Amino acid sequence: MKRVLVLLLMVGLCLPLFAGGQSEGTASEKPQEIRVLLANHPYGELLKQVIPEFEKETGIKVNVESLQESQLTQKLTTEFATNSSTVDVFMTRPLQEGLLFIKNGWYEPLDTYDFSDYPSNSVDIGRKNGHVYIIPLVTEWQVMYYRKDLFKAAGIEVPTNFTELEAAAKALTTDEVAGIGSRGKGGSAVTQLSSYLYNFGGLYLDNNVAVFDTPEAIEAFRYYGRLLGTYGPQGVTSMSWENLMPVFQAGKLAMWTDASVFYGQVVDPTKTQVPAEDVGIAKLPEGPRGDSPFIVVSWGMSISSKTKNPEAAMKFLDWATSKELAIQGMLSNITMARNSAWQNSEVREKMNPGLIETQAHAAQNGYPYDRPFMSSVGKARDLIGEVIIESIDTKGTSPKLEALAAEKTEAVNELLKADGEYGGN
Amino acid sequence: MIKSGFFERNLRYIFPLPALFFVLLLMVFPVAYTFVISFTDWALTSGRPMKFVGFSSYLGILKEPRFIDAFGRTFYFTIGAVVLEAVIGTVLALVLNREFVGKNGIKLILLLPLVSTPVAIGIVWNLFYDPTIGFLNYCLSILGLPQSGWVTDASTVLPSLIIVDVWQWTPMITLIVLAGLAGLSSEPYESAKVDGANSTQIFFFITLPMIMPTILTAVILRAIDALKTFDIIYAMTGGGPGYASETINIMAYKYSFEYFDLGSASAMLVFLFVLVLTASLGVMRLRKRFEA
Amino acid sequence: MKQSPVFRIFFPILLVLIIVPTLFPFLWMLLSSIKSQVDIISWPPKFVFHPTMINFYKVFREQDFLKYLINSSIVGVTSVALSLLMGLPAAYSIARFGQKRLAVFILVARLMPGISFLMPWYIVFSRLGLMDSYTALILSHILITMPIVVWVMSSYFEGVPRELEESAMIDGATQQLAFLRIVLPLSVPGVVTATTLSFIFSWNNFMFSQVLSMEKTRTLPIAVYNFMSYAEVDWGGVMAAAVAIMAPAIVLTMIFQKYVVKGLTMGAVKG
Repeated sequence: MKRVLVLLLMVGLCLPLFAGGQSEGTASEKPQEIRVLLANHPYGELLKQVIPEFEKETGIKVNVESLQESQLTQKLTTEFATNSSTVDVFMTRPLQEGLLFIKNGWYEPLDTYDFSDYPSNSVDIGRKNGHVYIIPLVTEWQVMYYRKDLFKAAGIEVPTNFTELEAAAKALTTDEVAGIGSRGKGGSAVTQLSSYLYNFGGLYLDNNVAVFDTPEAIEAFRYYGRLLGTYGPQGVTSMSWENLMPVFQAGKLAMWTDASVFYGQVVDPTKTQVPAEDVGIAKLPEGPRGDSPFIVVSWGMSISSKTKNPEAAMKFLDWATSKELAIQGMLSNITMARNSAWQNSEVREKMNPGLIETQAHAAQNGYPYDRPFMSSVGKARDLIGEVIIESIDTKGTSPKLEALAAEKTEAVNELLKADGEYGGN
Repeated sequence: MIKSGFFERNLRYIFPLPALFFVLLLMVFPVAYTFVISFTDWALTSGRPMKFVGFSSYLGILKEPRFIDAFGRTFYFTIGAVVLEAVIGTVLALVLNREFVGKNGIKLILLLPLVSTPVAIGIVWNLFYDPTIGFLNYCLSILGLPQSGWVTDASTVLPSLIIVDVWQWTPMITLIVLAGLAGLSSEPYESAKVDGANSTQIFFFITLPMIMPTILTAVILRAIDALKTFDIIYAMTGGGPGYASETINIMAYKYSFEYFDLGSASAMLVFLFVLVLTASLGVMRLRKRFEA
Repeated sequence: MKQSPVFRIFFPILLVLIIVPTLFPFLWMLLSSIKSQVDIISWPPKFVFHPTMINFYKVFREQDFLKYLINSSIVGVTSVALSLLMGLPAAYSIARFGQKRLAVFILVARLMPGISFLMPWYIVFSRLGLMDSYTALILSHILITMPIVVWVMSSYFEGVPRELEESAMIDGATQQLAFLRIVLPLSVPGVVTATTLSFIFSWNNFMFSQVLSMEKTRTLPIAVYNFMSYAEVDWGGVMAAAVAIMAPAIVLTMIFQKYVVKGLTMGAVKG
């Protein structure tokens, strides 16, 4: 009796071993199979839905996984660093991990791809030593979502500069509604602060040297802190986009500055209490020294340099970044990178005019980075985030701000030096 | 084979073998690996292969104010939580140490926080703590007290987290001390009564010293886990706002899995281990004193 | 101790003071899980409202909770089974042969911060292609469950009188046979304790599963956490998820209450 039990246990033991181990495919005799990693991003969701069409057309089996963005970076980094990856194609964030991956040679050069339909600065981000490694997928730029109805009720116009912005925030703040919201959660807020920073004439990095302790930068920190500390929702220093969006959807926020990519979700009728006609999109008001919101390639797609199925991977890449899918993305309010997608008439009809206008403005005047472009960007963001939080906590009045910014600038320069990326190009 | 004499004679080696082997493979090896890495400067972001740098990763984190702060916070959280749990837990045990209707029911109720998933607990408490719609701020408003930011406010985040930990783990101390009280012999009590001692004296000179070893054992168990608390902090604040609730464990996680700065992370983990070891040994020594 | 009238009034009050704060979070969680979104975010908080099952529907349909439930179960059951297989003989050996050092060695696993295992595991499992596999998760969970088995059972075996095995051995049985045929059957209560306790700890584990599992083998605690970040203010859904994840552990505790208490306090009291 006991023997039987032991035997059963042994068999039971072995079963899970079989369940887990199938991820390494031997590509040779089996029908072509590729492993694709996508992000939990609206475009990733779209791809997941249409992948069966690709499989039917090409006969290539696609093993797709989608992960939250930082988990995705984590997984890719560890797999590549330990030489253990079976990934063929993946979505990637050029500004977050692009430099690191290029440095380590983890991307496959994509020189045979046709880049003519893309704005050149979006391709440049993924270019090094004459090779391009990343196909731009999604661009985003800074916008300001606002409640048309609240503005009308208060009788004020959409602000066009920072003075008006502050006044509008003040006028629109009530017990129920916060006048303005923007990310305050340390590292996550860095990308949103960037446009404010540029409009004050400041920068994070200038020629790969950290310079966010200049007087202009300090002004920007103080303004952002004052704005959010006084008129922002409670607990804003713990809020990133996923916390602010629901607040806006619940009707408790009059203005929200964040990336353009969230528009579709903001007006999703199953999630929001604010009807779409009350939501407006405006450009970020200009600052005393600039009118250049960020416009960046937030997501791109690449092939792993270690792929064992380069042709199948390339086929997938071509398909996933195609003009047709780009138009589909645009029709779902995902702001794609391809120029033709923006000129397509069907898209222009359907897409929110605010998005089209703000994109045109950003494409002309915008700055192509929304964070310090370096390998240790994670740490750098947290360091800058400390200054942001200090400013918000003190409503922009902190006497320690200059010293703190100088300290963090120094720390970021140390990081650049440690990674061999300091100074010059 | 299992019936053989050889098997029997070497039972003391054969029986523990699978467990030992497993622990060696899955625990000792990774820990040794972490230990070794702590002497390198391995960081996946540098693009350079790792090299041995002796103690410089250790020195690096010791110079880092963020680590010193995390060190302090780890102490603050652990001592705050464990002391509260020990005191409240013991008091509860003393109160419950009698026969009454529903005693088993109470024990069951006390068990519930202990067996709950910490992550889920964190979420429920996040709802309580929500500054705008949370129940606790509602209670405060009824009592006419000012609202608090709870876990969204850097000055109140650690106490708020301690409250959650106390809610979840005090029952463990209560149950352990209760079991200990049940096992106390009644002799000392009877002789004390004969000698005319009153309840306060009985408590301080008989009950408390006798129950100290048990309390301290419970404290060791709690302190070890409290120093390493991860789930509720990660789920509730992720170490924030800013770094206000970042303990060594959380910081090591960030350094490992977000910054990929493995040399520094490993050094932090070695530190944490030494801390845990020291704390356990310290309390064990204390307990020996009471057992004598 | 005499029961003075003052005492008679105070004691029930004390009991209530203990019960209410302990149970209130659970109550609130349950209430919120059957509230609609509007009711949850209303201020002042509502106690009277129209209950709805939509949150549970969302959790089980939209979030594929069943899969996570199955994953948690597979990992829990397998790791506990394997821990028993390896831990019971080890515990017996410790109890009968006084191998204190061995006991300490296995229990040191509890002292180490989990992350110190995680990075090396992550690297090794990646290399072996075992990421997001049941194997990796089960192996990691054994490190949680086995020390519990050893801790509980070595105390327990110490309490089983040696005479029983000794008389069997005089009759010609080997010690290992005595262990299997005599000691183990007598130790069923202890095994139940160890099993229940370690299953609960495996079920509730977050950190190991967070790092080692991705989409395929995601366990319940991770799914709940993801729910929380993705749909931050869908409190109803989040509460329903919390109820779903804690329910099995609580039910188990209710059934095996006696054993769970024993397991938690054992060893601590014996010193």
